[in-house]
Amino acid sequence: MNKKLKVIIIDDEKLARDLIRSFLSNYENMEVVAECENGFEGIKSINEHKPDLIFLDIQMPKLNGFEMLELIDENLNIIFSTAYDQYALKAFEVNAVDYLLKPFSRERFDEAVKRVIERIEKAESTSTNPKELANNFVTKDEILKRIVVKKNQKIEIIPVDQIQYLEAQDDYVKIVTKDGSSLKQNRMKFFEEHLPDSFVRIHRSYLVNLNFVKQIDLIAKDSHAVLLKDGKQLPVSKSGYAKLREMIR
Amino acid sequence: MPNTSIRKTTTIIYYIIIWMAVFFNHFIILYHFFSSDIYIAIVDSLVYNFVYSLIAFGIWHSIEYIINIDKNSKEKIIQNHAITALITSVLWAYSGYFILSSLYNYNETYMEFLDSSIKWRIYAGIIYYSILIAVYYVIFYYSSYRDEQEKEHRMKALVKEAELKSLKYQINPHFIFNSLNSISSLTISNPQKARDMSINLSNFLRKTLADNENQKIKLKEEIDNIKLYLEIEKVRFGERLEFVINVDENCEDYEIPNMILQPIVENTIKHGVYESIDKVTINFVCKLEEEFISILITNNFDPASVSEIGEGIGLQNIRDRLKLMYNSEDLISIGKNADIFKVSLKIPINKTVD
Repeated sequence: MNKKLKVIIIDDEKLARDLIRSFLSNYENMEVVAECENGFEGIKSINEHKPDLIFLDIQMPKLNGFEMLELIDENLNIIFSTAYDQYALKAFEVNAVDYLLKPFSRERFDEAVKRVIERIEKAESTSTNPKELANNFVTKDEILKRIVVKKNQKIEIIPVDQIQYLEAQDDYVKIVTKDGSSLKQNRMKFFEEHLPDSFVRIHRSYLVNLNFVKQIDLIAKDSHAVLLKDGKQLPVSKSGYAKLREMIR
Repeated sequence: MPNTSIRKTTTIIYYIIIWMAVFFNHFIILYHFFSSDIYIAIVDSLVYNFVYSLIAFGIWHSIEYIINIDKNSKEKIIQNHAITALITSVLWAYSGYFILSSLYNYNETYMEFLDSSIKWRIYAGIIYYSILIAVYYVIFYYSSYRDEQEKEHRMKALVKEAELKSLKYQINPHFIFNSLNSISSLTISNPQKARDMSINLSNFLRKTLADNENQKIKLKEEIDNIKLYLEIEKVRFGERLEFVINVDENCEDYEIPNMILQPIVENTIKHGVYESIDKVTINFVCKLEEEFISILITNNFDPASVSEIGEGIGLQNIRDRLKLMYNSEDLISIGKNADIFKVSLKIPINKTVD
């Protein structure tokens, strides 16, 4: 290998970053191009440097490790370094990513790095797409409290209780709040499963937050629509109407 | 509330049964020992006991007042009872006399007996009163004993709950493993600091794991523990965490309830530092006021952060325990403005329930 591998360390605790950097100093073919102390900086650095490998902490303020991955487009080699996360641990078992449990030994560290280097040398396609990876880390019955989106190159954190409704648009889901809308690459089914009970799938393409619904109108024979408090109208399918009636009862 | 009305009905039934027994006794005494006419014995017993059952009812409901006229002096209480006993007995004896003499004024033998029995009846009245008071005290002490026990029980349960939650929190894997990771990192860059950190962590864990049965702890001890905790977090978070602890020396030796301050500080770290990119400053001020220690804990937080973590130790638990210990609702107040979170506590210094 002639070219040096570019590495980014993302962790909100400086001492944790120091340790990884110090362990990495043994590797002549690795260069730490950036250290980031939160997910926002992480995204910026990744887009700027296109690293070969990132070390990523999971619990970080505002934007956790998984949420950061949701906003990354390129495939990446990732080594998670985390103190403890029971959900994450489960997910690690099924994924091809490596992880370091803090505190970790130098041997364990070397092992993880060695595996990544082998992968890169064999020019194996690097692990899965970060977005899919992130989705896998949301456990089956976890209910989301917030959703992170990228809007005009800016990252927004949307608390789920501010979402009026979601609308399916091809590979994306449009998330609508009173301040406007943003797109997120994901399936409706994911949100249907991981949003609180106040969200009802009223239509193949619509998931509405009942807290923003003013009334349900009959617009033609056997055809209903939901009227939101701010005047927007959303179509309701037959099965959606059945669900609504069930909820209201 | 059907339950209380059932209880009321049963109480009334017991009351009637007791008076029927008293009535029967009275009747037997007159009929047997004084060889009274059977009808007269019945009427005499009926009138006197009915009147006393009414008086007793009144006494029962005013006993608390009688006791409380001068609560702190035993002599005064005995004096109050003696006066009340005398007045009610005389009242009773003469009102019975009045009714019966107007019924039987043609019967000279009975009138004579009635005249001569007055002082005995006053004695009987005093005995009735004594029995009534004795029963009242027994019931009163029994029920307050039970209340006390229940309160104690609840208090213990709440402390246990707080301890468990706190334990779960402090032994929170993120706290403990990240701290150990910091030590691991420091062994390379700053071995002296690594040693300090491992000692701090050990001391803190030792205190946390100690089985502390006490309801109270010296303020100084609690503050030391909080400092230890904040020192550890400070090593992890560096400049992201600042804390200022300001405790008046004259309140250090007072006792405060166990597991009250620690959870509040932990909450502050959890919702402030863990969720904020910017620097968080925790201010901790203890002052001695006239009747209580006032403790104010403030911190700035990121208003835009949407926490993904739930409540730490319930502030409700703290509120409940303060209420149980000091019988007061307004000892804790929690406030929040744009970006400052504020918890203020008042710990009374005399009025503790032991």
